[in-house]
Amino acid sequence: MTMLLVHLLVDGIVTGCSIGLVAATFAYFYSATGTFHVAHAGIYTFCCYVAWYCIGLDIPFVPALLIAMIVGALLGMMIQGLLYAKLERLKATPLVMLIGSIGVLTVLQNVSAILFSPNIIQFDLPWRTEYLEFGPILLSIPQLLIVILCPLLFLALQVFSSRTALGRQIRAVASNPELAQITHLRPQRMFLYAIAISSALVAVPGTLVGIDQAMQPYTSLIILLTAVVAVIAGGIGSLAGAFLMSIVLSIIQSVSVLFVSGRWSLGVVFAIFILFILLRPEGLVKRKFKREL
Amino acid sequence: MNFLFSFIVLAEIFAIVAISTNLLMGVVGIFSVAQAAIMGCGAYAYAVLAAAGAPFFPAVCGAMMIAASLNLLTALPSLRLAGDYFVITSFGTQLVATAVFINWVAVTGGAAGLPGIPVAEIFGVRFVTAGEFLWISTVALALMAFSFWCLLRSPYGKLLHAIRLDEIAVSASGRKVLRAKVGVSLVSGAYAGCAGALYAVYISFIDPISFDIHVSVLVITMVVIGGARTLAGSIIGPFLLLAIPQLLTLLEISSSLVGPVRQLIFGVILIACVLWRPQGIAGRSL
Repeated sequence: MTMLLVHLLVDGIVTGCSIGLVAATFAYFYSATGTFHVAHAGIYTFCCYVAWYCIGLDIPFVPALLIAMIVGALLGMMIQGLLYAKLERLKATPLVMLIGSIGVLTVLQNVSAILFSPNIIQFDLPWRTEYLEFGPILLSIPQLLIVILCPLLFLALQVFSSRTALGRQIRAVASNPELAQITHLRPQRMFLYAIAISSALVAVPGTLVGIDQAMQPYTSLIILLTAVVAVIAGGIGSLAGAFLMSIVLSIIQSVSVLFVSGRWSLGVVFAIFILFILLRPEGLVKRKFKREL
Repeated sequence: MNFLFSFIVLAEIFAIVAISTNLLMGVVGIFSVAQAAIMGCGAYAYAVLAAAGAPFFPAVCGAMMIAASLNLLTALPSLRLAGDYFVITSFGTQLVATAVFINWVAVTGGAAGLPGIPVAEIFGVRFVTAGEFLWISTVALALMAFSFWCLLRSPYGKLLHAIRLDEIAVSASGRKVLRAKVGVSLVSGAYAGCAGALYAVYISFIDPISFDIHVSVLVITMVVIGGARTLAGSIIGPFLLLAIPQLLTLLEISSSLVGPVRQLIFGVILIACVLWRPQGIAGRSL
């Protein structure tokens, strides 16, 4: 029983770390621009397929991952530059932005299916099923990479956002676009940087989860939903809240298997979301930063 | 000829779903990506009621009521909170509904679906072929379209338009925004439920894939390309988009790629409309 509990806990933490980076990057772009970027899930999937394709071409793992991140960044900049920026010029409502984003998500999912494979794919890497033992805990190498890389990249994003000049400029644009424009910061350029960063980072969990389990073109929306629930529960605008809540949610989801069948784990996340919006709509971590919802 | 009738019946059923979505999204400005799930609830409710021996009309009414109450229930937590909360509730509703359709095997038959839904029978007349069923779907669409048309022109419809344009101003002038939204959720859910019931009885087989998120996105695409807030838009959209799969059968695409290619076209249409023609073919801008 304790073994099972430990196993479920570890599983929850691993999943939580990968979803945490999805949540943090979603929250980063959302708090910068206010765009509900559903297509983030599409980038997550597409990058995984890019990495899979590179590894199929005998490119080693690290360059393959880097290529996937670069493709993700370019893709994100294309979406921001060609779609979101144009819609903003047209003074589109958030509803229209969201519909455009759903369109991009649909295109990305199906381009992945057409270009690569509509079926479930697995990476051809010999080490994906190798296990390492840490006392009672058994981790596969992809899981180990998730647990190390995702929190590290999250911290890097945090440091970038609060310590570097560019990170501060992006936050300045986010909190007051008009004022930022007066001080010669161009909001659209900052948004491009923001989406490039968040899209490059989301390629990492996308690829690693794909290696750890398997990849399908249409499943990433469920991951994004969990991530966005974590963003809301953690308090919108707080990256750390989003990351931590992802881990908490994933642990709850994982341990809930003891009580309800695993088929309903999506229902568990959704129930938590309903509880949050009924009881604490501002999230666990309340921040001064507030964007009109 | 049967092929053409079958196409028209399906397009009319989806026109009813499009009207339902148009009412929520176009008129009141409430985003919904769960209309297929609500339609599915109606379809499963009809199938269960019909299997229990309920005649056609009571079963359709039952399906409409169940779909309306479910639409309200899923919307309820978010009616107080605007914007992005509703987006997530909507996505969540759709994904959870699909999970329920797949996993509640005792009622829904699971992923294999529910076959053998009895043929529609009204006063002893059986509607078996597409040509015969066309009567039912046309009358249903005419009824729904007429009620939608009346609704938009009633004082209540004016109130709904006002809520989309400026919710705060509406509540400041003493109108009950929440009550109006509840009413709209019910009406929209009933429309979708009716469409679901007609779908179930016409195809006589339902499964979770018929009501998954891709169908919801398809319905949104229908509303966007047809045009928001007009009756003509909600009818043009389904006829246009359901013709695409038929045209694709003329091209030679391997069977595993037909689905992705079709959805890719829907996605491209969605982006193109949003960018270059937000008012669609015969509507107003969202």
